[in-house]
Amino acid sequence: MSSDPHERARQLTTLSDEVSAAERTWLAAHVESCSSCRGFVESAGETIRSLRAIPITVSGSLLAATRMRVRQRALELQRRQERLQTIWVCAAAVTFCTAFNTALLWRGFAWLSQRLSHSTPLFGLVFIALCLAPAIGAGIILLARGSHSAGQNGSLELGGF
Amino acid sequence: MNATACYFANAMADENTEIARGLQRRDPDLLDSLIEKYQHRLLRYLVHLTGRRDLAEDLFQETWVRVLERGGQYDGRHEFSTWLFAIARNLTLDYLRRKQPSSLDTLSDDDDATPFDIPATGSPSALELTLQRERSEQISGGMEQLPAKYREALALRLHEGMSLEEMAAVTGVPISTVKSRIYRGLSALQAWLKGGR
Repeated sequence: MSSDPHERARQLTTLSDEVSAAERTWLAAHVESCSSCRGFVESAGETIRSLRAIPITVSGSLLAATRMRVRQRALELQRRQERLQTIWVCAAAVTFCTAFNTALLWRGFAWLSQRLSHSTPLFGLVFIALCLAPAIGAGIILLARGSHSAGQNGSLELGGF
Repeated sequence: MNATACYFANAMADENTEIARGLQRRDPDLLDSLIEKYQHRLLRYLVHLTGRRDLAEDLFQETWVRVLERGGQYDGRHEFSTWLFAIARNLTLDYLRRKQPSSLDTLSDDDDATPFDIPATGSPSALELTLQRERSEQISGGMEQLPAKYREALALRLHEGMSLEEMAAVTGVPISTVKSRIYRGLSALQAWLKGGR
Protein backbone atom coordinates (compact mmCIF):
# COMPACT_ATOMS: atom_id res chain seq x y z
CA MET A 1 0.00 0.00 0.00
CA SER A 2 1.29 3.44 -0.92
CA SER A 3 2.74 5.78 1.74
CA ASP A 4 1.04 8.75 0.09
CA PRO A 5 -2.21 9.24 2.08
CA HIS A 6 -4.21 10.32 -0.99
CA GLU A 7 -3.17 7.34 -3.05
CA ARG A 8 -3.70 5.04 -0.08
CA ALA A 9 -7.22 6.42 0.37
CA ARG A 10 -7.99 5.85 -3.32
CA GLN A 11 -6.65 2.32 -3.24
CA LEU A 12 -8.72 1.52 -0.16
CA THR A 13 -11.79 2.91 -1.91
CA THR A 14 -11.46 0.35 -4.69
CA LEU A 15 -11.16 -2.53 -2.19
CA SER A 16 -14.50 -1.65 -0.52
CA ASP A 17 -15.52 -4.57 1.71
CA GLU A 18 -12.05 -6.08 2.06
CA VAL A 19 -10.53 -3.39 4.25
CA SER A 20 -10.12 -3.71 8.00
CA ALA A 21 -12.17 -1.70 10.49
CA ALA A 22 -9.13 0.46 11.31
CA GLU A 23 -8.52 1.19 7.63
CA ARG A 24 -12.20 1.98 7.14
CA THR A 25 -12.11 4.48 10.01
CA TRP A 26 -8.93 6.07 8.66
CA LEU A 27 -10.45 6.26 5.16
CA ALA A 28 -13.63 7.91 6.43
CA ALA A 29 -11.64 10.51 8.33
CA HIS A 30 -9.37 11.19 5.37
CA VAL A 31 -12.21 11.51 2.86
CA GLU A 32 -14.00 13.88 5.25
CA SER A 33 -11.02 16.21 5.31
CA CYS A 34 -9.78 15.86 1.70
CA SER A 35 -12.00 17.25 -1.04
CA SER A 36 -9.87 15.76 -3.83
CA CYS A 37 -10.22 12.21 -2.45
CA ARG A 38 -13.91 12.83 -1.73
CA GLY A 39 -14.33 13.68 -5.39
CA PHE A 40 -12.52 10.50 -6.36
CA VAL A 41 -14.73 8.38 -4.09
CA GLU A 42 -17.93 9.89 -5.50
CA SER A 43 -16.70 9.59 -9.05
CA ALA A 44 -15.56 5.99 -8.48
CA GLY A 45 -18.97 5.13 -7.05
CA GLU A 46 -20.67 6.55 -10.12
CA THR A 47 -18.31 4.70 -12.47
CA ILE A 48 -18.86 1.41 -10.63
CA ARG A 49 -22.64 1.84 -10.76
CA SER A 50 -22.49 2.61 -14.47
CA LEU A 51 -20.20 -0.35 -15.10
CA ARG A 52 -22.55 -2.68 -13.26
CA ALA A 53 -25.47 -1.31 -15.22
CA ILE A 54 -24.03 -2.45 -18.55
CA PRO A 55 -26.23 -5.33 -19.56
CA ILE A 56 -24.46 -8.21 -21.25
CA THR A 57 -26.78 -11.12 -21.75
CA VAL A 58 -26.60 -14.46 -23.50
CA SER A 59 -28.96 -14.70 -26.45
CA GLY A 60 -31.34 -17.64 -26.71
CA SER A 61 -29.62 -18.90 -29.86
CA LEU A 62 -26.19 -18.88 -28.21
CA LEU A 63 -27.57 -20.74 -25.20
CA ALA A 64 -29.26 -23.36 -27.38
CA ALA A 65 -26.17 -23.77 -29.58
CA THR A 66 -23.94 -24.19 -26.53
CA ARG A 67 -26.21 -26.78 -24.97
CA MET A 68 -26.41 -28.71 -28.22
CA ARG A 69 -22.64 -28.66 -28.66
CA VAL A 70 -22.04 -29.80 -25.12
CA ARG A 71 -24.57 -32.65 -25.45
CA GLN A 72 -23.04 -33.77 -28.76
CA ARG A 73 -19.57 -33.77 -27.26
CA ALA A 74 -20.86 -35.68 -24.22
CA LEU A 75 -22.30 -38.30 -26.58
CA GLU A 76 -18.99 -38.54 -28.48
CA LEU A 77 -17.06 -38.99 -25.25
CA GLN A 78 -19.51 -41.61 -24.05
CA ARG A 79 -19.17 -43.58 -27.30
CA ARG A 80 -15.40 -43.34 -27.11
CA GLN A 81 -15.53 -44.60 -23.54
CA GLU A 82 -17.70 -47.54 -24.60
CA ARG A 83 -15.34 -48.42 -27.47
CA LEU A 84 -12.40 -48.29 -25.09
CA GLN A 85 -14.19 -50.58 -22.66
CA THR A 86 -14.89 -53.07 -25.46
CA ILE A 87 -11.24 -53.04 -26.49
CA TRP A 88 -10.15 -53.67 -22.88
CA VAL A 89 -12.58 -56.58 -22.49
CA CYS A 90 -11.38 -58.13 -25.80
CA ALA A 91 -7.73 -57.68 -24.82
CA ALA A 92 -8.36 -59.34 -21.46
CA ALA A 93 -10.22 -62.25 -23.12
CA VAL A 94 -7.45 -62.77 -25.71
CA THR A 95 -4.78 -62.71 -23.01
CA PHE A 96 -6.66 -65.26 -20.95
CA CYS A 97 -7.29 -67.58 -23.93
CA THR A 98 -3.65 -67.34 -25.04
CA ALA A 99 -2.38 -68.24 -21.57
CA PHE A 100 -4.82 -71.13 -21.32
CA ASN A 101 -4.05 -72.49 -24.81
CA THR A 102 -0.30 -72.17 -24.30
CA ALA A 103 -0.49 -74.23 -21.13
CA LEU A 104 -2.67 -76.80 -22.88
CA LEU A 105 -0.35 -77.05 -25.89
CA TRP A 106 2.71 -77.40 -23.68
CA ARG A 107 1.09 -80.30 -21.85
CA GLY A 108 0.07 -81.82 -25.19
CA PHE A 109 3.60 -81.63 -26.56
CA ALA A 110 5.01 -83.14 -23.36
CA TRP A 111 2.56 -86.01 -23.65
CA LEU A 112 3.42 -86.49 -27.34
CA SER A 113 7.16 -86.53 -26.58
CA GLN A 114 6.57 -89.28 -23.99
CA ARG A 115 4.44 -91.31 -26.38
CA LEU A 116 6.92 -91.10 -29.26
CA SER A 117 9.96 -91.45 -26.96
CA HIS A 118 11.64 -88.37 -28.42
CA SER A 119 13.73 -85.93 -26.40
CA THR A 120 11.79 -83.16 -24.65
CA PRO A 121 14.12 -80.33 -25.90
CA LEU A 122 13.27 -81.16 -29.51
CA PHE A 123 9.54 -80.91 -28.80
CA GLY A 124 10.21 -77.72 -26.87
CA LEU A 125 11.83 -76.22 -29.95
CA VAL A 126 8.94 -77.33 -32.17
CA PHE A 127 6.52 -75.88 -29.66
CA ILE A 128 8.30 -72.49 -29.66
CA ALA A 129 8.46 -72.50 -33.48
CA LEU A 130 4.73 -73.19 -33.64
CA CYS A 131 4.01 -70.41 -31.15
CA LEU A 132 6.14 -67.94 -33.08
CA ALA A 133 4.95 -68.99 -36.52
CA PRO A 134 1.87 -66.69 -36.64
CA ALA A 135 3.91 -63.70 -35.48
CA ILE A 136 6.70 -64.43 -38.01
CA GLY A 137 4.13 -64.90 -40.77
CA ALA A 138 2.38 -61.62 -39.88
CA GLY A 139 5.75 -59.84 -39.78
CA ILE A 140 6.69 -61.10 -43.25
CA ILE A 141 3.32 -60.03 -44.68
CA LEU A 142 3.56 -56.57 -43.09
CA LEU A 143 7.13 -56.10 -44.35
CA ALA A 144 6.08 -57.14 -47.83
CA ARG A 145 3.14 -54.74 -47.80
CA GLY A 146 5.35 -51.95 -46.41
CA SER A 147 7.94 -52.31 -49.16
CA HIS A 148 5.14 -52.53 -51.73
CA SER A 149 3.58 -49.27 -50.44
CA ALA A 150 6.99 -47.57 -50.37
CA GLY A 151 7.51 -48.61 -53.98
CA GLN A 152 4.14 -47.18 -54.92
CA ASN A 153 4.81 -43.87 -53.11
CA GLY A 154 8.16 -43.59 -54.77
CA SER A 155 6.65 -44.03 -58.21
CA LEU A 156 3.92 -41.51 -57.38
CA GLU A 157 6.48 -38.94 -56.30
CA LEU A 158 8.46 -39.49 -59.46
CA GLY A 159 5.27 -39.26 -61.47
CA GLY A 160 4.60 -35.85 -59.93
CA PHE A 161 7.61 -34.42 -61.73
CA MET B 1 -18.19 -17.79 12.74
CA ASN B 2 -21.85 -17.75 13.69
CA ALA B 3 -24.33 -20.58 13.06
CA THR B 4 -25.91 -19.00 9.96
CA ALA B 5 -22.57 -18.36 8.29
CA CYS B 6 -21.48 -21.89 9.16
CA TYR B 7 -24.68 -23.29 7.67
CA PHE B 8 -24.17 -21.38 4.39
CA ALA B 9 -20.49 -22.36 4.20
CA ASN B 10 -21.44 -26.03 4.59
CA ALA B 11 -24.24 -25.71 2.04
CA MET B 12 -21.80 -24.19 -0.47
CA ALA B 13 -19.25 -26.94 0.15
CA ASP B 14 -21.97 -29.58 -0.34
CA GLU B 15 -23.05 -27.92 -3.57
CA ASN B 16 -19.47 -27.85 -4.86
CA THR B 17 -19.03 -31.52 -3.99
CA GLU B 18 -22.24 -32.37 -5.83
CA ILE B 19 -21.03 -30.43 -8.87
CA ALA B 20 -17.67 -32.22 -8.76
CA ARG B 21 -19.40 -35.64 -8.65
CA GLY B 22 -21.74 -34.70 -11.48
CA LEU B 23 -18.87 -33.45 -13.63
CA GLN B 24 -16.95 -36.66 -13.07
CA ARG B 25 -19.99 -38.57 -14.36
CA ARG B 26 -20.31 -36.05 -17.23
CA ASP B 27 -23.95 -35.65 -16.25
CA PRO B 28 -25.58 -33.69 -19.13
CA ASP B 29 -28.45 -32.45 -16.95
CA LEU B 30 -26.01 -30.99 -14.43
CA LEU B 31 -24.13 -29.28 -17.26
CA ASP B 32 -27.38 -27.83 -18.55
CA SER B 33 -28.17 -26.37 -15.16
CA LEU B 34 -24.62 -24.99 -14.79
CA ILE B 35 -24.81 -23.36 -18.22
CA GLU B 36 -28.15 -21.84 -17.23
CA LYS B 37 -26.80 -20.56 -13.93
CA TYR B 38 -23.47 -19.12 -15.04
CA GLN B 39 -24.27 -18.09 -18.62
CA HIS B 40 -24.47 -14.31 -18.13
CA ARG B 41 -21.55 -14.08 -15.72
CA LEU B 42 -19.29 -16.09 -17.99
CA LEU B 43 -20.18 -14.19 -21.14
CA ARG B 44 -19.78 -10.85 -19.34
CA TYR B 45 -16.32 -11.87 -18.17
CA LEU B 46 -15.31 -13.04 -21.64
CA VAL B 47 -16.64 -9.88 -23.31
CA HIS B 48 -14.61 -7.74 -20.91
CA LEU B 49 -11.55 -9.95 -21.25
CA THR B 50 -11.49 -10.08 -25.04
CA GLY B 51 -13.21 -6.77 -25.79
CA ARG B 52 -15.12 -8.49 -28.61
CA ARG B 53 -18.60 -9.93 -28.44
CA ASP B 54 -18.19 -12.40 -31.34
CA LEU B 55 -14.96 -13.83 -29.97
CA ALA B 56 -16.45 -13.98 -26.47
CA GLU B 57 -19.38 -16.04 -27.79
CA ASP B 58 -17.02 -18.53 -29.46
CA LEU B 59 -14.98 -18.84 -26.30
CA PHE B 60 -18.18 -19.17 -24.27
CA GLN B 61 -19.03 -22.37 -26.15
CA GLU B 62 -15.47 -23.63 -26.00
CA THR B 63 -15.39 -23.08 -22.25
CA TRP B 64 -18.43 -25.28 -21.64
CA VAL B 65 -17.05 -28.02 -23.89
CA ARG B 66 -13.81 -27.85 -21.92
CA VAL B 67 -15.76 -28.03 -18.66
CA LEU B 68 -17.32 -31.25 -19.93
CA GLU B 69 -13.99 -32.73 -21.03
CA ARG B 70 -11.99 -31.72 -17.97
CA GLY B 71 -14.79 -32.00 -15.42
CA GLY B 72 -12.92 -34.78 -13.63
CA GLN B 73 -10.23 -32.29 -12.61
CA TYR B 74 -12.63 -30.19 -10.53
CA ASP B 75 -12.32 -31.38 -6.94
CA GLY B 76 -15.06 -29.28 -5.36
CA ARG B 77 -12.71 -27.67 -2.83
CA HIS B 78 -12.97 -24.28 -4.50
CA GLU B 79 -15.92 -22.37 -5.83
CA PHE B 80 -17.09 -23.71 -9.18
CA SER B 81 -17.19 -20.18 -10.62
CA THR B 82 -13.48 -19.68 -9.82
CA TRP B 83 -12.60 -22.89 -11.69
CA LEU B 84 -14.92 -21.98 -14.56
CA PHE B 85 -13.42 -18.51 -14.97
CA ALA B 86 -9.90 -19.93 -14.82
CA ILE B 87 -10.77 -22.31 -17.67
CA ALA B 88 -12.28 -19.46 -19.69
CA ARG B 89 -9.20 -17.35 -19.07
CA ASN B 90 -6.80 -20.11 -20.13
CA LEU B 91 -8.79 -20.74 -23.29
CA THR B 92 -8.73 -17.03 -24.10
CA LEU B 93 -4.99 -16.83 -23.54
CA ASP B 94 -4.42 -19.92 -25.69
CA TYR B 95 -6.53 -18.44 -28.46
CA LEU B 96 -4.75 -15.09 -28.31
CA ARG B 97 -1.35 -16.72 -28.29
CA ARG B 98 -2.29 -18.65 -31.42
CA LYS B 99 -3.79 -15.65 -33.20
CA GLN B 100 -1.70 -12.79 -31.87
CA PRO B 101 1.44 -14.03 -30.18
CA SER B 102 2.55 -10.61 -28.90
CA SER B 103 0.19 -10.07 -25.96
CA LEU B 104 -3.32 -9.97 -24.62
CA ASP B 105 -3.41 -6.20 -25.06
CA THR B 106 -2.94 -6.22 -28.80
CA LEU B 107 -6.48 -7.42 -29.39
CA SER B 108 -7.88 -5.67 -32.42
CA ASP B 109 -11.01 -3.71 -31.65
CA ASP B 110 -13.90 -4.39 -33.93
CA ASP B 111 -15.43 -0.94 -34.31
CA ASP B 112 -18.31 -2.16 -36.44
CA ALA B 113 -19.55 -4.69 -33.94
CA THR B 114 -21.97 -3.64 -31.25
CA PRO B 115 -19.97 -4.10 -28.07
CA PHE B 116 -22.83 -4.91 -25.74
CA ASP B 117 -26.47 -5.88 -25.88
CA ILE B 118 -28.97 -3.34 -24.66
CA PRO B 119 -32.11 -5.34 -23.99
CA ALA B 120 -35.41 -3.66 -23.21
CA THR B 121 -35.97 -3.58 -19.45
CA GLY B 122 -39.00 -2.28 -17.59
CA SER B 123 -40.58 0.77 -19.10
CA PRO B 124 -38.18 3.72 -18.88
CA SER B 125 -38.89 6.83 -20.90
CA ALA B 126 -37.24 7.45 -24.24
CA LEU B 127 -34.98 10.07 -22.68
CA GLU B 128 -33.95 7.73 -19.88
CA LEU B 129 -33.24 5.00 -22.40
CA THR B 130 -31.13 7.33 -24.49
CA LEU B 131 -29.18 8.56 -21.48
CA GLN B 132 -28.70 5.01 -20.23
CA ARG B 133 -27.53 3.90 -23.66
CA GLU B 134 -25.12 6.82 -23.89
CA ARG B 135 -23.70 6.12 -20.47
CA SER B 136 -23.33 2.42 -21.27
CA GLU B 137 -21.61 3.23 -24.54
CA GLN B 138 -19.30 5.63 -22.72
CA ILE B 139 -18.35 3.02 -20.15
CA SER B 140 -18.02 0.34 -22.82
CA GLY B 141 -15.79 2.65 -24.82
CA GLY B 142 -13.71 3.36 -21.74
CA MET B 143 -13.38 -0.34 -20.97
CA GLU B 144 -12.25 -1.06 -24.51
CA GLN B 145 -9.45 1.47 -24.12
CA LEU B 146 -8.09 -0.23 -21.03
CA PRO B 147 -5.38 -2.87 -21.21
CA ALA B 148 -6.96 -6.36 -20.96
CA LYS B 149 -5.50 -7.10 -17.52
CA TYR B 150 -7.26 -4.03 -16.07
CA ARG B 151 -10.50 -4.82 -17.91
CA GLU B 152 -10.35 -8.30 -16.48
CA ALA B 153 -9.67 -7.05 -12.94
CA LEU B 154 -12.59 -4.62 -13.08
CA ALA B 155 -14.93 -7.22 -14.55
CA LEU B 156 -14.09 -9.83 -11.92
CA ARG B 157 -14.23 -7.41 -9.04
CA LEU B 158 -17.03 -5.03 -9.91
CA HIS B 159 -19.25 -7.20 -12.08
CA GLU B 160 -18.74 -10.62 -10.57
CA GLY B 161 -18.08 -9.44 -7.03
CA MET B 162 -15.17 -11.85 -6.58
CA SER B 163 -12.98 -11.66 -3.51
CA LEU B 164 -9.31 -10.78 -3.92
CA GLU B 165 -8.35 -14.40 -3.15
CA GLU B 166 -10.70 -15.73 -5.83
CA MET B 167 -9.36 -13.20 -8.32
CA ALA B 168 -5.80 -14.24 -7.53
CA ALA B 169 -6.80 -17.88 -8.10
CA VAL B 170 -8.40 -17.11 -11.46
CA THR B 171 -5.66 -14.84 -12.79
CA GLY B 172 -2.71 -16.60 -11.20
CA VAL B 173 -1.13 -13.43 -9.81
CA PRO B 174 -0.49 -12.35 -6.19
CA ILE B 175 -3.19 -10.48 -4.28
CA SER B 176 -1.04 -7.32 -4.21
CA THR B 177 -1.03 -7.35 -8.03
CA VAL B 178 -4.78 -7.88 -8.09
CA LYS B 179 -5.28 -4.86 -5.81
CA SER B 180 -3.01 -2.75 -7.95
CA ARG B 181 -4.83 -3.75 -11.15
CA ILE B 182 -8.23 -2.85 -9.72
CA TYR B 183 -6.99 0.55 -8.58
CA ARG B 184 -5.17 1.34 -11.80
CA GLY B 185 -8.02 0.09 -13.94
CA LEU B 186 -10.61 2.15 -12.13
CA SER B 187 -8.40 5.24 -12.14
CA ALA B 188 -7.75 4.88 -15.88
CA LEU B 189 -11.45 4.34 -16.59
CA GLN B 190 -12.39 7.43 -14.59
CA ALA B 191 -9.75 9.50 -16.32
CA TRP B 192 -11.08 8.35 -19.68
CA LEU B 193 -14.67 9.14 -18.73
CA LYS B 194 -13.71 12.60 -17.57
CA GLY B 195 -12.57 13.37 -21.08
CA GLY B 196 -8.98 12.34 -20.99
CA ARG B 197 -9.61 10.09 -24.01
